[in-house]
Amino acid sequence: MKTIIGLCSALALGISQASQAADLRVYTYDSFVSEWGPGPQLEQAFEARCGCDLEYVAVEDGVSILNRLRIEGTNNKADVILGIDDGLMVDTRATGLIEPHGLDIGPLRQELAWQDDSFVPFDFGYFAFIYDSSKISQPVRSLRALIDSNASVIYQDPRTSTPGQGLMMWVKSVYGDEAPAAWQALASHTVTVTKGWWEAYSLFLAGDADYVLSYNSSPAYHLVAENKTQYRAALFSEGHVAQVELAAITRTSQNKALGREFLQFLVSPEAQAIIPVTNWMLPVIDNVELPPVFGELISPRRIGFSAEEAGASRQQWLREWRSSAAQ
Amino acid sequence: MVAAGLLALAFSLAVTVLAFCGLIGFDNARLDTRLLSDGYFHSVVWFSIKQAGLSALLALILAWPVARALYYSPGLWLRQSFLSLCVLSFVMPTLILITGLVALLGRQGLISPWLGPDWNLYGLPGILIAHVYLNLPFAVRVQLLQLQHIPDSSWKLAAQLKLGAWQRLRLIEWPALRAGMLPLFGFVFVLCFNSFAVVLALGGGPRATTLEVAIYQSLKYDFNIPEALTLAWTQLLIAGSLFLLLNRLGGSQWLGVDSTRQHWKPRPGAAMQRLHRLVYASTALALLLPLLALVPGILQVDLARFDWRAIAGPALTSLLIAAIAGTGALLLAYAMLLPLRFARTEGRTTLALLFDWLSTQALVAPAMVVSVGLYILLLPQLDLDYWGMLFVVLLNMLLIVPYAVQQLRPRLLQFDRQYERLVRSLKLGLRARLRVEWPYMRRACITSFALMLLLAMGDVAIFSIFGTSNWTTLPWLIYGYAGTYRMGEASVASLLLLLICALMVWLFQHFEKGQQDA
Repeated sequence: MKTIIGLCSALALGISQASQAADLRVYTYDSFVSEWGPGPQLEQAFEARCGCDLEYVAVEDGVSILNRLRIEGTNNKADVILGIDDGLMVDTRATGLIEPHGLDIGPLRQELAWQDDSFVPFDFGYFAFIYDSSKISQPVRSLRALIDSNASVIYQDPRTSTPGQGLMMWVKSVYGDEAPAAWQALASHTVTVTKGWWEAYSLFLAGDADYVLSYNSSPAYHLVAENKTQYRAALFSEGHVAQVELAAITRTSQNKALGREFLQFLVSPEAQAIIPVTNWMLPVIDNVELPPVFGELISPRRIGFSAEEAGASRQQWLREWRSSAAQ
Repeated sequence: MVAAGLLALAFSLAVTVLAFCGLIGFDNARLDTRLLSDGYFHSVVWFSIKQAGLSALLALILAWPVARALYYSPGLWLRQSFLSLCVLSFVMPTLILITGLVALLGRQGLISPWLGPDWNLYGLPGILIAHVYLNLPFAVRVQLLQLQHIPDSSWKLAAQLKLGAWQRLRLIEWPALRAGMLPLFGFVFVLCFNSFAVVLALGGGPRATTLEVAIYQSLKYDFNIPEALTLAWTQLLIAGSLFLLLNRLGGSQWLGVDSTRQHWKPRPGAAMQRLHRLVYASTALALLLPLLALVPGILQVDLARFDWRAIAGPALTSLLIAAIAGTGALLLAYAMLLPLRFARTEGRTTLALLFDWLSTQALVAPAMVVSVGLYILLLPQLDLDYWGMLFVVLLNMLLIVPYAVQQLRPRLLQFDRQYERLVRSLKLGLRARLRVEWPYMRRACITSFALMLLLAMGDVAIFSIFGTSNWTTLPWLIYGYAGTYRMGEASVASLLLLLICALMVWLFQHFEKGQQDA
């Protein structure tokens, strides 16, 4: 009984602590603020710099950040949102809740070709198929080769996951109008299509497929955290589609100056050295000091669609995938 | 008494209705009727029905010989542990189940080499195997309970009449099972109908899409509320009406006089006993294998470096949530059954059916729609970062109530059959009444409380919407690990979750036994 009372009071205490207004509230996703994610280290570094109190409000994932903004509208509590990706940028702007940051964020990596007055990238990655080099010595060298092969593949559902949507754009930009035939060909050697990233990736690690859709930075995790060298990303000659993770200031924020300072901090060398080894994505600026493995990752040519193009055709592409991959 | 029950029913219904209001009220969303003529929509609905129907049928049929074996051979080795394993399998987190099945039956699976070159887990086989794994153990327990209610007198009569094995089966066993079969089928059907992650992971592609996937997509990724509403109503209509129909068809429960301790039942012949042992052993093996298949993966994790402290807090939080939600659910279920019992003893069948449906409506309403609807309704009114955990507990409680109802209902109705007249004629007050009921209900209450705890322990769906990061639960931590490459840590944490669950089942069974002996 005592333990229960203890726990209840701890619960109450925890809640009351969380409710004290912080100087800067950041909406983000759960794995970002987890113990091993970038959140805690970034918070510490930024608070030391600004002498202020930063608080994360974490929701399930990137899409949930946008949905929360949509539901709350102007009553939202966020000063900064952090963790939506470029695929959601158009919809997020359409809420009318995003404020241009008016910052000169300095030179970002050239391949990002970043030009936007409101959203600031804090990390990015290329979608890539990962394979086990101890099993496959001659990996495929292009998306066409993979789709025409009979190698077993696992990928994520574009209706429920961002990597899945990435593959959808990848196929569309390589195949154009012939995408339906490509999906059909891929379906003939697809093991399964999963709801989210981890289901696919754990099936792959269990040995259930030759290739799994993930990020070009995935091998870095295996090397740095597990000291395993066999997992590699396949470099495709057509180029790869990228996912860029973004942060922005809300129009309703009461503390925009601090928000701007935080965005500037996100692209600083200090923050950029933390993010890649905790979020396992690539830094957005050059010359960041990182474990050597980051230098050995594949660096593909970037292809794909602008956020506006993707936003306009997404529904139609989904229908196309749905009907051709189901055959 | 009945008023309290009506209040409980109204409360649970109000949450569902409010959730729908939340969705409808947002942007004045209307139904998207174009969807109803979409070919994709039809294939999704048809597939949902097909896989759920097949899963439920298979689970029930395969459970039957197991239940018989348990019934006729009470001396089976580790019988109690087997029954605990059954509870555990029923609440198995999908993460563990998927990993275990793949380790066994996947392309590199331990058993796969013996299944021939054409074996492929992914597709309908995978879905059915997973659903049977989850639901067969539950069906076994329910069927066993029904068999145990066959009164001694029936068996004595059968012996006097020298009924053969087939006649006993037809005239005694089947009538005992029949009444419960259709509602059980309905229950398992609805569970499989709402299944989501298992179907996607093992389904093999967009051919295997359930309504739940479509709801998830429209609500989460497209934020298309009209479409989500249309899908939700479809699901409510199909699952709800089927549930109602099956409960009505199986409505007239065949319930014998209580016989907790049986003294007499026919002893099967030696060959039959061997068959029973074989069925029993192979089922136990089938339930254990996916768990054992996890061990090699866990051995790869460096357990010395594993951060056990990171798990302790979430484990306690989960236990606390489960304890509150479980207790609440049991009380609510008990209250909700009062109007039903009243209607039954008064002989008002239609009213009873209505109460029956209302008490289990939370099972039929799509969980995702209820939680998101409520979230939309509450977020602008309330500081959910502050109050979120309250709703995690509340919604968990409401969503597990139908399971408690399912567990308590047969026993309570049986009690009424036997003692209601006596209780009435003695004009017993509330306290005296409960005192009479308790010894009769104790076992059912303890077992269902254990089940409630386990169900609430495993939740991620509700936590993903209302949860706050200061109060991470153990299942959420597992998904956190899995979502950031830490598959090994995820399996260790999963196994720990499973062990906690197993320990709870064991404790409760121990407690129950102790009470009985006393």
